[in-house]
Amino acid sequence: MMSGAWIPIAIFLPILGGIMIPLIGFRRPKCREIYVFSVVFATSLLTAGLMAAPPEGAVSVVNITKTIDIAFYVDGLGTVFGVLVAFLWPLATLYAFEYMAHEPRQNVFFAYYTMTYGLTLGIAFSANLITMYLFCELLTLVTLPLITHDRTKAAYVAGVKYLVYFVAGATAAFVGIILFFVNGGGLEFVPGGLSAGNIDIAPGILGASFLLMFFGFGAKAAVFPVQDWLPSAGVAPTPVTALLHAVAVVKSGVFAIARFTYYSFGAASLVDTSAQKIAISFAIFTILYGAVMAWKEVHFKRRLAYSTISNLSYMIFGILLLTPAGLVAGLLHMLFHGIMKIALFFVAGAVTCQSGLHYVTDLRGFGRRMPHTFAVFTIASLSLMGVAPLCGFMSKWYLSQAAIAGGGIFAYLGLIAILIAAVFAAIYLLTIVLRAYFPRKGYVAAGNPQAGDPGLYMQIPLTLFAAAVIALGLFAWPVAEWIGRAVAGAFI
Amino acid sequence: MEYSFWGPSPSFSAEPFQLLYGTIATIMWICALLSSKEYMRRRLHAGRYYTFMAITYLATAGVFLSGDLLTLFVFFEIMSFASYVLVVQEETPQALAAGGLYLAVSVGGGMALLMGLFLLQDALGTLDWTQWAGALETMTDRSRLYPAAGLAAAGFGAKAGLFPLHIWLPKAHPVAPAPASALLSGILTKTGIFGLVILSAYLFEGDRSWGALLLILSLVTMLLGAVLALFSVDLKRALACSSVSQIGFITLGIALVCLLGPHNAIAARGVILYMVNHSAVKLLLFLLAGAVYLDTHQLDLNMLCGWGRKKPLPTLFFLTGAASIAGLPFTAGYAGKTLLHEGILECLTANAQAGNFRDLLVASEWIFLFTGGLTVAYMAKLFICIFLKKNQDAVLQKVYDQKAGPFAGPLTTTALAVPAIFLAVAGLMPQTTLDVMAGRTQSFLTHHALEHSVHYYTPANLSGALIVLGIGTAVYFGVVRRLLMKSASGNGKYYADRWPAVLDLERLVFRPLVRGMVWTGTIFIGLIFDRSVDLLIASMENDLFRQIHSDEERFSPLEWLRNHPLASFWRRVQEAYTAFSQSLSFGLLATVIGLCAVLIYLL
Repeated sequence: MMSGAWIPIAIFLPILGGIMIPLIGFRRPKCREIYVFSVVFATSLLTAGLMAAPPEGAVSVVNITKTIDIAFYVDGLGTVFGVLVAFLWPLATLYAFEYMAHEPRQNVFFAYYTMTYGLTLGIAFSANLITMYLFCELLTLVTLPLITHDRTKAAYVAGVKYLVYFVAGATAAFVGIILFFVNGGGLEFVPGGLSAGNIDIAPGILGASFLLMFFGFGAKAAVFPVQDWLPSAGVAPTPVTALLHAVAVVKSGVFAIARFTYYSFGAASLVDTSAQKIAISFAIFTILYGAVMAWKEVHFKRRLAYSTISNLSYMIFGILLLTPAGLVAGLLHMLFHGIMKIALFFVAGAVTCQSGLHYVTDLRGFGRRMPHTFAVFTIASLSLMGVAPLCGFMSKWYLSQAAIAGGGIFAYLGLIAILIAAVFAAIYLLTIVLRAYFPRKGYVAAGNPQAGDPGLYMQIPLTLFAAAVIALGLFAWPVAEWIGRAVAGAFI
Repeated sequence: MEYSFWGPSPSFSAEPFQLLYGTIATIMWICALLSSKEYMRRRLHAGRYYTFMAITYLATAGVFLSGDLLTLFVFFEIMSFASYVLVVQEETPQALAAGGLYLAVSVGGGMALLMGLFLLQDALGTLDWTQWAGALETMTDRSRLYPAAGLAAAGFGAKAGLFPLHIWLPKAHPVAPAPASALLSGILTKTGIFGLVILSAYLFEGDRSWGALLLILSLVTMLLGAVLALFSVDLKRALACSSVSQIGFITLGIALVCLLGPHNAIAARGVILYMVNHSAVKLLLFLLAGAVYLDTHQLDLNMLCGWGRKKPLPTLFFLTGAASIAGLPFTAGYAGKTLLHEGILECLTANAQAGNFRDLLVASEWIFLFTGGLTVAYMAKLFICIFLKKNQDAVLQKVYDQKAGPFAGPLTTTALAVPAIFLAVAGLMPQTTLDVMAGRTQSFLTHHALEHSVHYYTPANLSGALIVLGIGTAVYFGVVRRLLMKSASGNGKYYADRWPAVLDLERLVFRPLVRGMVWTGTIFIGLIFDRSVDLLIASMENDLFRQIHSDEERFSPLEWLRNHPLASFWRRVQEAYTAFSQSLSFGLLATVIGLCAVLIYLL
């Protein structure tokens, strides 16, 4: 067991390490790369250690008032999210080195990029609502400069939009938290939530605060109707889009929803309330919405962003089923989708980086020009569509099983939505794959004619992700069991 | 709290029937690979072809040897995607279009199958079909099974080529390389049949509504396929349509397995023999078509006419296959056809008092015989065209006649000989080959023993064959010679494509359906809900928080109309983005909305 003091160290190491980058002012890229990678890698190691031997109890860092403090702890749910982040961040950093090699202002970029890691860990390990809220807010502010990094008009517009959605969301969430708190809810996260402490809150207030928090934190998870920032944010450099807008930021939103649903409110006090039904119907709608929009979109990264919107709601749907199987399936999809989607975005980035192309209609014949990259893309696409036996199929299988076992009209609606969305996923992903491998005879190759597979820094993460997609598909059962054990306490 | 999950270790089983089909798959693949060696010589992307042949083989063997439906589904999906690459191998526009259709049907069918499996798992608690009997005993309400099994059957039927999802077969088979077509037609369709067998034999034994549904679909499929084959003027397309028709025959047998209940052993044997026969015949005929194509680079019957004159070996091969598939006496197809015919008659005797249902059975017997006649007719058309008639073009005929050397390479000839010898031996000695095979493997489809041994060459059975032959001759002379051939300007006649192009199920029904669904989806979801929050904020900014400039104060009707909130509504939605870049107050605004929502909720 590690001492509790290591938790804040793991969180603040990348934050401080990131702040140091512009202060040191690296001039040679090699030095910066070594520095950034060692900070990120050390953090991942530290996090892995914390999760392998979690310290007992919460560690309070600052006491704001007698009842409100900034505190961290490591528990099962946080570990599931932490594993995902700690696995992906070093690989994404490697990728970013190559992608950003020709961009200006890299010191600033990597400063914020590294800081984000700490903030995401802070969300994963926060021990109460206030801490989680605070770190969510900080995450918004720190990722903003990453979106506007290109300093184009489109980037500024996207940045302001990002801020508007998140500030509004945060306000709603804050109102929800206060409403919850003044009516007797505890701020600390307790497995089982209200039912664990035998606290009764009037159903109206309970529902209102739940929905406020749901849409507030749901802004990060891109739940309809607060989803539109995500496609716009695709103007950011690809490492940002891939890591933050497919994994860190959006999954913080999903994680936050899972956290307050099960550890503040508790499944028992929410089940069969109108609040649950409203929230789950928005999730179901978002599944369909994202899939249809992705099919309509021809910009490569925006198409993937819409697909993310659809998939995030799969997870929320699973979580809101309020059954053990649903929670496990939602979290399983959170893990698997993170890996699949980051692989897809990395391919999109590699294509743009090598050939300067942005639209899926331009990708004819790329299967032969970038064979390795598109092999990864094919595997990840098939997985995301839900082709057996890759990992995306397994998580959808668990989700559907949970939906059927849960029963009820919403569960069946969700199941149908998932299958329809899978058909759309097949269309919007396979059209890219087929164009790449089977261009019509006599097609004209678009973009930079020298475009080929990218360098090693990009290929290593891509290969690892493809291997993970296959391996996790074959061994999904142990992973699901592990998640099941990790969150077993949430049901009392 | 207990977590009950499906433990996803794949399970396999090797019942005699599964082993039989695993073996047939292996033999067929060996033959196809032998032939491919010559077919793919000096072609582009041969490496890709062999890779995906191997993947498809492994997946197909996996389907047949699965121990539960989920394992089966996993291999089924791999098989679908791997065989797509075989269909588009040539990368011609037709191949890509056919491949797209194949993929669409596969993906759609796969999703339906998956949904069916979810529901079956929920209803029965297991996807291992050997345990279903126990689950069914304790089940009170069986109505939940129908939607579940119906969805699964849609998935299997799409792969098998059952009406109305047969549309991909006539398009995909002709464009694929011939050895791949042989496999697509001979064995991949059987994976769908295999799934239908599992559903019908293990879930619905003795269930009349399921059996009747399957019966009707199979009748439509067999008749439609045979008519399409009769109209085809392309060799491989005719063979593909013939596959559709034969799949109808096999499905009819499955329906009988279902309907006959405890007496279904005869139908079970019929299904097995028919499947084996069809696999062997299609391997033979498609490989032969491949050899013809290699020799002439033509598939049009008018060009191929006269190719086989004075070529004894291919004539013999084709005749063996054609006679077998038509089910003529002393061929391998005769046994299966006789058993199915007897099955129909037995079902008819058992349901002699059943009113409408009896009428359906009487109709199916006649459709069965009539389609048998059509089979004779279209096979006669192909045989006479390629091997007996002389070509219109005397020069071309001379080229065909004077070609020296064997008609195909040694490997292809070997590959052709394997199914041909099997068919000949099985046809001449059904009691010692086919009956033994069926007897050993029937336990998969039925656990009842055969009540009485079948004598194939009784007067009653032979008269059935004679009726079929008579209908076939009549159709050949009445329809093919009169309606489907046109007089050319010279003295001869040529084969005309008389099938109306409008009657294309894909263009007539499926495409408008999909387009309609997509349109609705786009309009409702895409246009109305996209950027709805932007719209809300933009409209509030323009209406509630509009800044009034001094020069706007003078009233002007035209100006008023142009600036009216409704008139310029859509323009303002477009301007929403610029609005965002100007001010941060919208965030606060959204807060106000949130607060209002809270108040309304509390009140």
